[in-house]
Amino acid sequence: MPIAFKDVSHIYNADSPFSYVALDHIDLEIAEGSITAIIGETGSGKSTLVQHLNALLLPTQGELQVLDQCIDSKQKPKNLKQLRKNVGLVFQFPEYQLFEETIIKDVCFGPKNFGVQEEEAIQRAKEILKVCGLDDSYLEKSPFDLSGGQKRRVAIAGILAMDPSVLVLDEPTAGLDPQGAKEMMELFVQMNRVYHKTVLIVTHDMEHVLSYCDQVVVIRDGHMERACGVKEFFSDIRLLRELRINPPAVIQLRERLRSEGFAIDPSIIDIKQLAEAVASEVKHHE
Amino acid sequence: MNNIALGRYLPLDSVIHRMDPRAKIGAMLLLMIAIFIPAGYTGYMVIGVAVVLAALLAKLKFSFLWRSMKPMLFMLVFLLIINILIVKEGFVILQIGSFAVYSEAIMQTLYIVIRLMLMIMITTILTATTKPLDLTLGIEDLLKPFQVIHVPSHEIAMIISLALRFIPTLIEETQRIMKAQASRGVDMEEGSLKEKVMGILSLIVPLFVSAFQRADELANAMEARGYIPNKKRTRYKQLKMAGKDYILLLISVCILAFMISIQLDILPFTVDWI
Repeated sequence: MPIAFKDVSHIYNADSPFSYVALDHIDLEIAEGSITAIIGETGSGKSTLVQHLNALLLPTQGELQVLDQCIDSKQKPKNLKQLRKNVGLVFQFPEYQLFEETIIKDVCFGPKNFGVQEEEAIQRAKEILKVCGLDDSYLEKSPFDLSGGQKRRVAIAGILAMDPSVLVLDEPTAGLDPQGAKEMMELFVQMNRVYHKTVLIVTHDMEHVLSYCDQVVVIRDGHMERACGVKEFFSDIRLLRELRINPPAVIQLRERLRSEGFAIDPSIIDIKQLAEAVASEVKHHE
Repeated sequence: MNNIALGRYLPLDSVIHRMDPRAKIGAMLLLMIAIFIPAGYTGYMVIGVAVVLAALLAKLKFSFLWRSMKPMLFMLVFLLIINILIVKEGFVILQIGSFAVYSEAIMQTLYIVIRLMLMIMITTILTATTKPLDLTLGIEDLLKPFQVIHVPSHEIAMIISLALRFIPTLIEETQRIMKAQASRGVDMEEGSLKEKVMGILSLIVPLFVSAFQRADELANAMEARGYIPNKKRTRYKQLKMAGKDYILLLISVCILAFMISIQLDILPFTVDWI
């Protein structure tokens, strides 16, 4: 288990009249090499949860295991830098963290902070920028001259260049056009499949959860509501309704067909399988 | 960042909270002037009692007032050192080798500290009992008479309220960027000087970029809603002076008059017990 929350609670402004329980006794395990979606309504505690992963926030209670490090409420983790190198956290709207004069310098900033030599950092930055879809002609440009989507790519490249083994993304596709969002998600899948990184994505987009993720973690009012596989999650239509989640188109179609009397397996989450199921149903009744 | 007491509004319900912001600002100005009149400790006693009474009426905790004065501690130490080095009057309190600490040094420091404490307490009571928006409304109204000499009172008030509005936003933004850069290995506490400078740079540049961007967007949003700076505007909230507001002003005027009369030595009775 690279990541395990054990009875973790987080209270903001504890011991003051403004105290607010953001996480309430969370028990959660995340498997190595998976892509996990973290979903939940705004203000449910998703962002608080992910900020524990690289010890930006420390649990008020309980402990968590991240890779080979243990973080508990009592003490500040000793090897903080190592942890932050291993867990790359990309904030919402990461384009706001760009500050260097050139793109290449900005991407090198993270690795250099973690002690990577200048030349190696530049080498890595070039490779990573290519993977992120920005060729060599961009290297010496100012990051502030780019479009919004490109800025975000640079910012994400800045985290990827640190070569973290766990990649955590807080709503990485917010504000991107559908094509840009799709490319972004495909980049993360590539990071997972090719570079074997464990990926956690906070998202509101159920289509993305269905198409790109393996696991789903549902956070609701600071509680962990559910943690299961994507297939199981989208089969449980009652849960989806209870969570007021707008299901992906395939699931909506499946449910519509089922309510119209088609005998379709509720665990189908794939458009092809659904088509086959419909075809066999039609054939069966002819 | 959440325990900053200076300049923070406390949503309580008290007589002082309900007073007209103009009266409160006026009283603050009068008392500030009174503090600057060198009327000795007697005068400060009077102001001190008035301020403590106001704080009690406003239901403010003294721990809150104390916290708002904490940032001043550094000043106090600084003043004390300077005064000990410079002032050589009064009697010797402490003799270390050939170096002597004189009583006047301590007294003068105390004098300045009391002044500062009173001023901070007064402003804290004002900001703690008045919503920032009401405060700007008050300022706008008080500046109205100066429109004759082309002081843009409404614009000034608008600028102040916008600035106030964006303080929490910018604090939030700062924290966010700090966290984001910490994730990229910036360590503000440890590390060499060069690393620290880099760290601060990595915070300031994005902060400025986003602040300018926000300002731009805000300007557009205001224009889109038809805001034209020097056009005449009506206002939803009308301020009205009531009896208690006049009483507050009257008390302030009395205190100021008292201070002046001590200073000019025209009181029918003497107050030189200190």
